[in-house]
Amino acid sequence: MTDARPAQPADRTPTSNPVLRRALIWGGVLAAVILVVSAVLGLVFAGLPGLWGALIGTTMAVVFMGITAASILLANRFSGSDLFVGAFFGIVLGGWLLKFIVFIVLVVLLRDASWLDTTVLFLSLVAGVLASLVVDVLVVAKSRLPYASDVELPKAPEDD
Amino acid sequence: MDATTVLAEINGNIATVGYGLAAIGPAIGVGIVVGKTIEGVARQPELAGRLQVLMWIGIAFTEALAFIGIATYFIFV
Repeated sequence: MTDARPAQPADRTPTSNPVLRRALIWGGVLAAVILVVSAVLGLVFAGLPGLWGALIGTTMAVVFMGITAASILLANRFSGSDLFVGAFFGIVLGGWLLKFIVFIVLVVLLRDASWLDTTVLFLSLVAGVLASLVVDVLVVAKSRLPYASDVELPKAPEDD
Repeated sequence: MDATTVLAEINGNIATVGYGLAAIGPAIGVGIVVGKTIEGVARQPELAGRLQVLMWIGIAFTEALAFIGIATYFIFV
């Protein structure tokens, strides 16, 4: 009796990978810009504590917002597995939970730090979060996703 | 004991209540987003890629509110 499964299983990698990867890259680029701007503003308005607040705030925003896309990319590596759906949501939601625990611990630790300006930290955190949302929306709006994950489509013309 | 006396007896940092409020919204939001994505992938597994992107953008917006909500701990005493 022959094996019913095809010798070369179809590639089931979800088509979202390029979009998420592009969002991470552009998020990083915009983060660098915001890092410089908020560091300069923090230094001007609040001195050295302001500089530290801006650096840590922007980094926190970008890293924590980026973890979602990174966790989806990581989970998609298991797309061939039978347990893919369970593993996917386990990794993505587990990463989400872990991220918020780390975030709350950081907030509690940095709350009373005298070497940084918490107002600057808060403002640059909000700026980083909003900027990362803008990048996410722009990347998704400009992306092209084939409907099906396991077929080979003709190559789309390069436009970006 | 009437309600005013009970409320007056509560002590501690009110920001903790703020954290609780900041956690409820995103918890419901992410729960709905992920649940609906599971539903969609179960109906049409080949659409997983598109649904993942939509799920991710939904999670991003929901968690942005949570981050800002929790981080207000920095500026409100």
